[in-house]
Amino acid sequence: MSIDVKHLAKLARLRIEDEKLAKFEKDMENIVNMVEQLPQLDGDASGLDPKNPMILRKDEIDSCNIPRKELLGNAPKMQAGCVVVPKTVE
Amino acid sequence: MELYEKSAHELSAMLKNKECSSVEITESVFNRIEKVENKVDAYITLCKDSALEKAKAIDERRTKDILHPLAGIPIGIKDNISTKGILTTCASKMLYNYVPPFNAFVMDKVADADMVITGKLNMDEFAMGSSTENSHFKKTHNPHDLDCVPGGSSGGSAAAVASGEAIISLGSDTGGSIRMPAAYCGVVGLKPTYGSVSRYGLVAFASSLDQIGPFARNVTDTAMLYNLICGHDNMDSTSAYREYPDFSALLNSDVKGLKIGIPAEYFGDGVDEAVKEKVMGAVKELEKAGAEIVNISLPSTKYALNAYYIISSAEASSNLARFDGVKYGYRAENYENLTDMYEKTRSEGFGDEVKRRIMLGTFVLSSGFYDAYYKKAKLVAKEIVNEFNDAFTKCDVIATPSTPSTAFKLGENIGDPLKMYAADICTVTVNIAGLPAISVPCGKIGKLPVGLQFIGAKFDEQKLLNTAYALEKIIGECKVAEL
Repeated sequence: MSIDVKHLAKLARLRIEDEKLAKFEKDMENIVNMVEQLPQLDGDASGLDPKNPMILRKDEIDSCNIPRKELLGNAPKMQAGCVVVPKTVE
Repeated sequence: MELYEKSAHELSAMLKNKECSSVEITESVFNRIEKVENKVDAYITLCKDSALEKAKAIDERRTKDILHPLAGIPIGIKDNISTKGILTTCASKMLYNYVPPFNAFVMDKVADADMVITGKLNMDEFAMGSSTENSHFKKTHNPHDLDCVPGGSSGGSAAAVASGEAIISLGSDTGGSIRMPAAYCGVVGLKPTYGSVSRYGLVAFASSLDQIGPFARNVTDTAMLYNLICGHDNMDSTSAYREYPDFSALLNSDVKGLKIGIPAEYFGDGVDEAVKEKVMGAVKELEKAGAEIVNISLPSTKYALNAYYIISSAEASSNLARFDGVKYGYRAENYENLTDMYEKTRSEGFGDEVKRRIMLGTFVLSSGFYDAYYKKAKLVAKEIVNEFNDAFTKCDVIATPSTPSTAFKLGENIGDPLKMYAADICTVTVNIAGLPAISVPCGKIGKLPVGLQFIGAKFDEQKLLNTAYALEKIIGECKVAEL
């Protein structure tokens, strides 16, 4: 199967440089050709383990003791305690 | 014998008997790092000052308090485990400057036990790879042959323990990332049952498969570290609710009557003859010690690698969507608008293998392809689970090679993703089924170690540790590699 790497990259918010495109296309085709070798099985694909069920915690606010300044300390661009991003609505 | 060559349980006893101090152990490990790190390149970040400070504080406290058995023992941490105040890069340009404001669950445990953190260990970028060559920062070398890879993705964690640059370490395993480097570097590596160790603070790759686990130079240390990190955590919704035994106290090398399953599918064409011989040689030793060999079949193994790459990449494409240059890590310097910022940041921040996995995940989940790929892979996963359940009605543990060959040369597979993926063929089924498995050294071919993998039923780590312990008693513990 041929893979439209440019389209996939766009969906994943990636860009592939033109000089690398051919190699990516070949690699992605080889990978897809490998992984698609799967048998036709029927049934429910959900993988629940009834012996060890997942128990969700109560939807309660658990106080977070990390100061705001520390939480925001990794943001690449900050101003007046807010994260700065380009204009999002035209 | 230098202190860095000793095991955690030996050092623990020495500390208790005041035969050495934590400062002396820590200095010994850092002297070793200074001597061999330029050859091995296991670490991304070293924490010498804070380690010595911590060791000093523990030595002082030891005079008046009773401390945890692992107190004062140096430990190295894979760089995808969040360490409060210590750089956590996932070996990616995307997180080159990221300092977590919180500790992973396992790091709280490490802190509670008063262990000494030596630093953060190299890995494949975002744990995607089988050789640690996908790190943005450096390539780690196999301490047994510096021309070879240490395996991956936890290559730094395995190489540091093998070279004496750490006494023990933590890694993570999504498709073999603990067991495979453990095998290549000749150390013990345990991938615990899914849900037994909290994933809170482990930077997510494939959430249904990821699990944190220990590396050590012997089974006793592995059990000690696993004891420390297992347990329920409210912060991980897949964390199992259960009580765990004291795995160290129950360690027992008696294998009389133990049924060891041998699945033919793991001894097929793709596996080197010399590796098969070493593995079966070790199994025969256990048979002599009283174990019983049972032939079993796991026929869906042939589809496991394909199902694994579909499921793990699908989850990765969603997990890695968070890296957008807004909240943390790298952001491209010049951009015209929001989309441009996202695309430039992600294209410049991620390496090629991470991009391939994100795109594969995007592809298999995209409209029209879901049924043909993701759903089929999940059905194969279910079949694999059923086959393992059936196998464990006939045997107690399953023995296989950990890897199809010994460590390959640096650069040998890096240009061919399919060859690189094939290195995971013996390990991925275990993650798909959520089972525990341990890789233990079972001999060498030339300079390079061979790993034997024992797979157990869910939450049956004790049986795995005991079987591995029995083998270790017969063939001996691994020693620090000469460099």
